[in-house]
This record gives sequence, C-alpha cells and structure tokens, in this order.
Amino acid sequence: MNIICLVKFVPDVDNFVYDYDRNVLVRENVKMILNPDDAAALAFALKIKDKYPKTFIEVVSMAPKSIIGQLEDLLRRNVDKSTLISDKAFVGSDTYITSKILAKYLKAQTFDCILTGTHALDGDTSHVPAQLGELLSLAQLSNVLKIDESNFLNSIAIVDVDRERVISTYRVSLPAILSVQKESNYKLPHIKFKNLHLDVSANIHVVSNTDLSFDEKEVGIEGSLTKVSRTYPKKMEKKERIFVENDDEGIEVVYRFLKTKGYV
Amino acid sequence: MNKNELLEGLLSILTVEQINTNEADLYDASADRYKKYAKARKVLDVPMPMAIVYPNSAEEVSKLLMFCNEHLINVIARGGKTATEGGLENWKELTIVIDAENLNKIIKIDDYNMQATAQAGVRLQELEDELRKIGYTTGHSPQSKPVAKMGGLVATRSIGQFSTLYGGIEDMVVGLECVFPNGHISRIKNVSRRAGGPDIRHIAIGNEGTLCYITEVTVKIFKYFPENHKFYGYLIKDVETGIKILREVMVNGYRPSVARTYSEEDARQHFYHFHKDKCVLIFMAEGNKETVEATCRGIEQAVENFKEGILEYVDSKHIESWFNHLNWSQKDIDDEFEGMLEKDYHAGFTTEISADWETIPKIYDSVINRVRSEFERADDLTMLGGHSSHSYINGTNMYFVYNYNINCDPEDEMRIYHHPLQRIIVEETLKFGGSMCHHHGIGKFRNEWTTEEHGSAYFMLEKLKEAFDPNGIMNFGTIYYQEEGAKYQK
Repeated sequence: MNIICLVKFVPDVDNFVYDYDRNVLVRENVKMILNPDDAAALAFALKIKDKYPKTFIEVVSMAPKSIIGQLEDLLRRNVDKSTLISDKAFVGSDTYITSKILAKYLKAQTFDCILTGTHALDGDTSHVPAQLGELLSLAQLSNVLKIDESNFLNSIAIVDVDRERVISTYRVSLPAILSVQKESNYKLPHIKFKNLHLDVSANIHVVSNTDLSFDEKEVGIEGSLTKVSRTYPKKMEKKERIFVENDDEGIEVVYRFLKTKGYV
Repeated sequence: MNKNELLEGLLSILTVEQINTNEADLYDASADRYKKYAKARKVLDVPMPMAIVYPNSAEEVSKLLMFCNEHLINVIARGGKTATEGGLENWKELTIVIDAENLNKIIKIDDYNMQATAQAGVRLQELEDELRKIGYTTGHSPQSKPVAKMGGLVATRSIGQFSTLYGGIEDMVVGLECVFPNGHISRIKNVSRRAGGPDIRHIAIGNEGTLCYITEVTVKIFKYFPENHKFYGYLIKDVETGIKILREVMVNGYRPSVARTYSEEDARQHFYHFHKDKCVLIFMAEGNKETVEATCRGIEQAVENFKEGILEYVDSKHIESWFNHLNWSQKDIDDEFEGMLEKDYHAGFTTEISADWETIPKIYDSVINRVRSEFERADDLTMLGGHSSHSYINGTNMYFVYNYNINCDPEDEMRIYHHPLQRIIVEETLKFGGSMCHHHGIGKFRNEWTTEEHGSAYFMLEKLKEAFDPNGIMNFGTIYYQEEGAKYQK
C-alpha cells in the first residue's frame, strides 16, 4: 500500500513567549515544528507501516529548503521517501495556488490514500485538503478522529469524524483524502537512538518548478488572488498570580479557587 | 551456575522466607533511580538479578559472600533503594541482591558518649526520631532521610542538608562492622580519635558495595535546639556574589547548618513565591543559643560586606517553610513513578561536583556555556541551573540541575539527554581540577572517569579492589570501569 502524507512545518505558536509589558509576541527563537494535525496523520500512516511492513510512506511538503533537516528526521522515523516541493516562484502562494501546485505533483504519483492534517497552527483556514479533493477528484473528509486499521488495506477506510456535537462514522472508498486532527491522539513515534544520525539524504527528493512547469505568473504572489483585508494581533491578558504557603490556609485558598472554576 | 543451583546454594545458608524470587521485585532490583523513567515504562535494558536475599546477621552475610565468592556470583548490596547513580543497577546475569531489610535494629543510643549504633537496615528517619525524643539529632539530613538506610548512607559517602555544620557522613561515623568477599568480618571500634596507621574506616565508607558489605555503623550524635533555629534569605545579583558571601562566612570560621546559593533558574523551581527571577542566597543557623547568635552575626557581617550584590531581603518564614517540606518520602517517590507512567516527563536530574572557591564559578559558567552551545537537545531543556549547598573552608559544591521535555523513547532517554549533559559537567569539572562527584557516589555511569578523577592515586583504589575483592564479585561496574558494561552506557 502506498500512502502519501502532506505535511507542513509551522512556527510553534502554542509555546511562544509573550511580552506582556510591550504587548507583543517574542518571535526570536520560535521553533518550527511539524504541524500537530499533520503529525497525527503521519503517525497513523506509520502505525499502518508498523503493522504491515510492506506499506510505503511518502511525505510531501511545500516549503523552503531550510526544512530539509526536519524532513530527514521524518525519514529517520521509518518514512520511506520525503519530497520537498520548493521553488522561489512558489513563494507567497495562497491556499488555492498551493493546492494547484500540490495537485500537479500528486497527479503524477501512484497512491492508495492521501493523509493530511485538518488544521494548521499558522493559517487555520483548512482550505488545502478540500481543494485538493476537488482538483484530484477524490473524496475528502476533515476532522478525522479514528481510522479503522483492519479494513484499510482492502481499499476501504472506515473513519470516525468529529462533527462538533456528534461523532459520525463514514465508509470511504480509497483512494481518498483523509484529514486527521490531533485529537485523534495518533502519536508520532520518536527517532530511535541508533537512528539519530542515520544518513537519509538519498531519500530526500526536491521538486522545483522545472519539474512542474507552471507559468511563473500562475503561481506565487502574482498568481494568488486571495487578498488579506485586515490583520490584527491577538491580545493576551496577563493572569494574576497568587502565592500561598503550603499550609492549611494556602490549601483552603487553592480549594476555593478550584471550586469557583467547577473542578471540585 | 544456573538459577536452580544458585537457589539451592542460597537455601543451604538461609531459610526460604529470606529468599525472594518474585518477578516484579527482581525487575525492581534491576536498576535504581538513575533509570527511573525507563524502569517505570518497563523498558530496562539490563538483566534482572536471580534473587534478593535478606540476611539476619553479619554471620549470614559472611556465609553468603563466601558462597558468591566461590561461585563467582555478582553481589549488589542494597539498603533504602534511593541510589541515583546506577550503584544498584545490575549488569550481570548471575547476580544476587543482598538487602539489609532484616538488619533493622538500633543497637544502642549512648547520650553520654554522644554516639548511636545501628544496623545497616535501620532507616535514618527511625534513628533520628528516636534521638529527637531525647533531645538529640544525628545531624544527617539528606532529602532521602525518610527512606534511606544507615548502611547505604555510609557506603555512598552521603551528605545531608545541614552538612556545613555537622559534616558529611564520613565526619560522623566513629566505627563500623563490615564483611569482605572472603567472609571475613571486620569490626572497627568506636573511639574519639586514633592514630593507629591509616584511617581504615574510609575503606568501607564510600566503597559503594565494591569492596565489602557494611552491616553496622556507629555515628556521632548532637544536642538538638530547634527553638534556636534562625533563617536568612536574600535575592542576589548573581551566582558569583552568592559564592563570595558563602566563602566570607566560612573562612571567618562560622558554621551555619545551611548555606546555599541558587542560580535564577534553580531558584525559580524552588522558591516560586519570592524568587522574582533572581538568584537566591539562604542560610540557617542552629545549635545552642550563643553559637547561633555568633553565627547570625557572622552571616549578617558577610552580607554587609557584599551588600552591593544584595538585591532584596526575603522574609525568613519563607525559608523556614521551604525547609520543612524539602524531604522526599516513599510516597513522593511512588507518586513520581506513577506520574512517569502517564506522562513523558519526570522531575529531572542532577549532577553534583565540587571544587575550591576560586574554581567553582569557572566550572559553573563553563558548563552552562557548553551545554547551551553543544548539547544537541538544548531546545528541549526546560530548566538548566544549579546551586551550591555544601560549603567548606576551602571550597564548595555545585549541584547542576536540569529538566527537559523527553522527546524520545523511554529506553533512549539517558543516552540522548542525561548522559551528554553529565559528560559535559564531568569533563569541565575534571578539566578545572574539581571532583566529579560531591556526594552521590560514582555509581556505574561516571566510572569511565574514575581513573581521571583520581589520577596517580587511582593506583591505591585499584589495589584495594585487588586485595579485598580479587574475584570481582562485588557490584560489577560500580566505581571501576568495565568494558563489558559499556553497552549499557553508550
């Protein structure tokens, strides 16, 4: 079985430092991490490979070349191939153009299933998976919480989908695009100590516009029709801190606080 | 020798109740707190011992050691199981653990001659509680006091939180009984001082179960005056200022029971309620009224002498309250274990070193810089700092403390995180001429530097092993480097 996982590396905005005095996000030293929903999708693929070792996993990411190190770390986790779609011409592409670029590459590949995350930490529009479904003429489901492993090899995916108030189960014929969310709790395995410095450079493939042959006016900023009308920084409020001693009085304060919040 | 033959041999010495082959207990005996996370996650990579035995007397220990010596069975001596450096970890298939559980009697408390005798398996807390009832103290108070046992404390050259006044365990032991691999039982008598050749107490003190098995110890006791305790706390400019004030107090002849300097990072995790992101300096004075008053004057004068480095005074009740909750009980250990089952997290690690006054700040800066620039997982560090907590007239210790997010499998944690950090600390300490272990012992994971630690004096350590344990049955891999054990380290 061939699985393609579409992944994106994003700033680790869940663990940023906020400067309350200047009311700004401290951007220095913000790490790039694998988008948590994408990590969950890849984790499911690796789980399948662990169970069925003949499974072939390709990770595809559209990003600058600076993320090659992170793609190599995915290969060290037992991914078979990493494809980086990278070209100066693609810089600034909106979600629609990004989907077109990805679709052009994917159309030339053989696969049984495409796995993606549902949301990205940085943009959170969730456009790309659905647009890819349209461009590739494939069924696409977002907010996937669980995929039945037993039927997966039989070209059928039975998936539980979070529909906010209810969880619905769908039966989807493969190939399809399944967009997983991190609440699925599929956990990306760690790199084994013995593989930490494994040379995986041979399994990194860089795809540029030379390979995809877009007219430069079709892609990048020029080709992107999405216009951002307004942005605003999220305001963070500094929480009040109360210090108590480790004594009866302190315990009472903590108990009363938890009670007001409904925890006890 | 197979397991059945081993058990048959043990049964010729002990009763069946004194031999434990329960699988869960043997797994627990495979490693100590050094590999606590891997142990909790059931992924230990070392063999289990074949049995745990509980002798009732020094004579039974003697028979056990003779049996093991004859059949080349590795022996691990065990007390309260609070070891943190791999001293209780097993690296041999054919191994027994000799547990001091049944050597549990306080033999004598002698308040006229100011000494107390206890068997190896007596918990320090138990002895301390008995002494407190009559107004005395051992003066020994490691964080592990509620759990640690007398034999283990002596075997690892333990130190307590009040060491600056009372000294380390080596200053407290007046005599002891120990058993060697050939079965010989040695009793070192209890006297106030002696000059009968080299001080042979020190062959047993700190041997970490590699030369002999300690069965009984006699320690000094001290009058206890809790009503006189005085506490001091300060926010200070930097670690170096703190070290200078500690030195000022010590070199002027004062002996506070506690004298500590914390880096900003370490202060943050200990003193959440007052640290204000600054370094912290604390003192405690204890003893009789006159001594405490003199010590307090000494502390206040030292602080005055370096007042440009003092940022703020801390209410002494915060320091007192903190001390009252510092020790970790068996419940704390169990809670941490349970926590590690649920989360990819534990309470962190420490590496403790020592050096003279001049060198300690250099080692501290050098280690911190090297970790920040060289450690591959520096991004995962959630805390890196340290404190000086035991001072002497010629120098002090540094307790490096580090926590990190564990982004690896439990079985790889030590190799990816702790070992590289410990290596940097040890290498920098030895480079500057300090000692790589202040009070945890060498255990099994600093043994690759034992020769460098001792230099030309390693000759003496080597000869002790050859003389007392020629068959190498005592705690294989502890203190002395073993190539065969490298697979568990690297």
